[in-house]
Amino acid sequence: MNAILTIVIAGVGLWLGYFIYAKNINLNIVKPDDSKATPAKMYMDGVDFTPASKNVLFGYQFKSIAALGPIGGPIVAAQWGWLPALIWIILGTFFIGWVQDYASIIVPMRSEGDTFGALSYKLISPRARTILLVFIYLYLLLIMGAFGQVIGITFMSKPAVPFGILSVILMGLLAGQMTYKMKQDIILTTAITVVIAFFGIWLGQTSFITNIFEGLNNALGAGGQKYFWSIVFAIICYLGAVLPIWRWAQPTNYVSFWIVALGMVGGVIGMLVWNFQGGASFGDFPAFTGWTVKGLGPLWPILFVTIACGAISGWHSLVSSSGTARQIEKESDALPVGGGAMWMEMVLAVIALLTATAATGGWAAYQEAYAKGKFGVFAVGLAAFLSHIGIPTSFGVPYGLVFLTIQGLTISYLVVRFMRVASAELLGDAIPVMKNVHVGAIVALVLSLIVIWTGVWQTIWVLFGGANQMMASLALLIITIWLMSQGKQYNWTFWPFIFMYVTTIGALIYTAFWKALPAALAGTKVAGNIIAVVLAVVLLICAFILGYDGWQAISRYRRGEATVEA
Amino acid sequence: MDQSRWETLKSRLRRARKVAGELLYGATVYDWVRDMRRERGEVERLFVLITFGDLLGIPILPPYYTLRLLPYIVPSIERWKRSLLRERDWTDLVEFIEGID
Repeated sequence: MNAILTIVIAGVGLWLGYFIYAKNINLNIVKPDDSKATPAKMYMDGVDFTPASKNVLFGYQFKSIAALGPIGGPIVAAQWGWLPALIWIILGTFFIGWVQDYASIIVPMRSEGDTFGALSYKLISPRARTILLVFIYLYLLLIMGAFGQVIGITFMSKPAVPFGILSVILMGLLAGQMTYKMKQDIILTTAITVVIAFFGIWLGQTSFITNIFEGLNNALGAGGQKYFWSIVFAIICYLGAVLPIWRWAQPTNYVSFWIVALGMVGGVIGMLVWNFQGGASFGDFPAFTGWTVKGLGPLWPILFVTIACGAISGWHSLVSSSGTARQIEKESDALPVGGGAMWMEMVLAVIALLTATAATGGWAAYQEAYAKGKFGVFAVGLAAFLSHIGIPTSFGVPYGLVFLTIQGLTISYLVVRFMRVASAELLGDAIPVMKNVHVGAIVALVLSLIVIWTGVWQTIWVLFGGANQMMASLALLIITIWLMSQGKQYNWTFWPFIFMYVTTIGALIYTAFWKALPAALAGTKVAGNIIAVVLAVVLLICAFILGYDGWQAISRYRRGEATVEA
Repeated sequence: MDQSRWETLKSRLRRARKVAGELLYGATVYDWVRDMRRERGEVERLFVLITFGDLLGIPILPPYYTLRLLPYIVPSIERWKRSLLRERDWTDLVEFIEGID
C-alpha cells in the first residue's frame, strides 16, 4: 500500500458518495427549490441572517469544521491498523457524515432558521434541548481535557515549541492592531505577520532558544513541567476568552490559519513528490492489528468514536444549523456547502492517516512517535513529507508541533469563551456572579485543568468522541423526525441514527464499566478515572432519556399526531 | 488557438480565479467581517432601541432629535424589529465561538 493508492481509493469514495449518492438524495428526496426564499433572504438583518455565495460559505464551513479532530482521530485509530481506520473514514463520511452536515443545513433552512436547540424542543421534547446542552458542555469540557493534555503538557514542554507559539500569538496581536487601529491593508498585514511568525518558529528551534527552555524545564522537573505548562496553556486560553475578540482570538486565528494552511499544502505536495520518486509506501505498517487494542479497547465500538471528525461529528450539526443555514443564498447551495465541506474533511482525515502510515514508513517508527505524544505522529509525518520539497526535518518537526499546538490553542480559547457565555446564560439568573466574564472563564478553566491533570488521555479522547457522537445521534434524530413530519423518505438518516446511537452507547458503557471503573478500583489514577465514570454515566443517562423521547416522538409522527409547518 | 477558444479559456480562468478568491475569503477573513458586522449591528440595534423604543411599546418619550433621525431610521426599522424581537435559543451561542461580546 502507498499514499497515492490511498488517495485514489478515497477519491473514488468521494466521487461515488458526492456525485451519485448525495446528489441522488438531494434531487429526489430533499428536492431543493431555488425559487423559495431562504431564511438568509427572508430575515436578512445584516448580522446573523445574511446571504453569501456558496464558495465563500464552503470556505467558512470547512474552516469551522476542520481542526485537530480529523488529524488526531485517524492517528490514534491507526493502532488497529490502517485498514479499519481508512474504511471507517470513507464509509462513515459516505453514509453518515455528509448526511448529517447537509441535512443540518436543510432542516433549519426550511424551518425559518431555527437552531437545533429550538428544533429539538419542538420536534422531540422540551427536555431534549436540555440534553443537547449537557452534550455540548461535556463535549467542550472533554475537548479542553484532550487538547489540554496533548498541547498544554506534551507539546508546550518541548523546548522548540514555546517560542514559536509566542511568535504566532504576538503576530496575531500585531495583525489585530494593524487592521483595526492602524487601518492597514490586509495583504500587507498578512505578509508581514505571517513571515515574521515563520521566522519566529525557525528561531524557536535554534539551540540558543531551545537551551533556554531546556534549562527552564530542568529547573521545573518532570512534575513541575506538567503544572507550569498547563497553567501557561490556561492563561493563554483565559486571555483569548476574556479579551475583545478583535484584540486576540480573531487575528491570532487568522495568522495561525496561514501557518496551518501552508503546512498542509506543502505536506500534500511533498507527499506527491515522494510518491513519484517511488517512496511513501506503508512499509511494514499492518493493515489490521487485531480486534482489540491495549489501552483503547475493542474495534467496535471504540474505533467509531475515536475517529469522529473526519467521518461523522455532531459538532458540525451545530455549526451548520446555527451559522451556515442562516447564510445560504439558494437551497441548492446546501449540498456543495454542507456535504462538500464534509467530503473535504474526509480528505484531510485520510492525509492525517497517511502521516501516520506512509510518512513514518513503518509500524515501529509510528509506535515510537506515538509513544512520545499521540498527535506528535502528525508532526513527524508532516516533516517527512516536507523534507521532499527541501524543508529540513530539523525545522519540519518543530514546525509540525507548532502547527498542532497553535491549532489546538485557537480552538481551546474559543471553547472557554463559549463555556463562559453558556454558563452565564444557564446559571446567570440563579448565580449572578456567573455573569461576570472573568468568573465564567475561570470556572471553565478550573474544570478543564482538573480534567487535564487527573484524566487518562485515551479515556478522555473516547469520552470526547462519545459526547460528540451523541450530538450526532441527536442531530440525526431531529432530521429523521423532520423528514417524517414532511412525509419524505427517511431511511437515509434513520439507520445512521440507529448505528451512531447504539455504537456510542456501547462505547460509553465500555469506557465507564470495563475500563475506567476497574482502573479506579485497582488504584490507578483514581480521581481521573472516577471523573471519567461520572461523565460517562451522565452522558449515558442523557442518551437513554433522549432514546425514550425520540422513540415517543417517532411513534407520534408515525401515527400522524404531530405535524410541523413546512 | 482560434479566437472563440481563447475567449472561452480566458473566461474559465477568470471564473476559476473568482472561485479561488471566494474560497480563500470564506476560509480567512469572512469570520472577521461577520464579527465586525455583528458589532456594528449590536450598536445600531441599541441605538435604535434607545431612540425609537416606543415603537416596540417601551415607554420612551420621543424627543425632538428622535424625530430628526426618523427619516434615516425608517429603512431599517423592519430589520431592527425582526432582529430585536427574534426568539433566541441558547444554541445560538455557537455563533459566539466566533462572535463578539
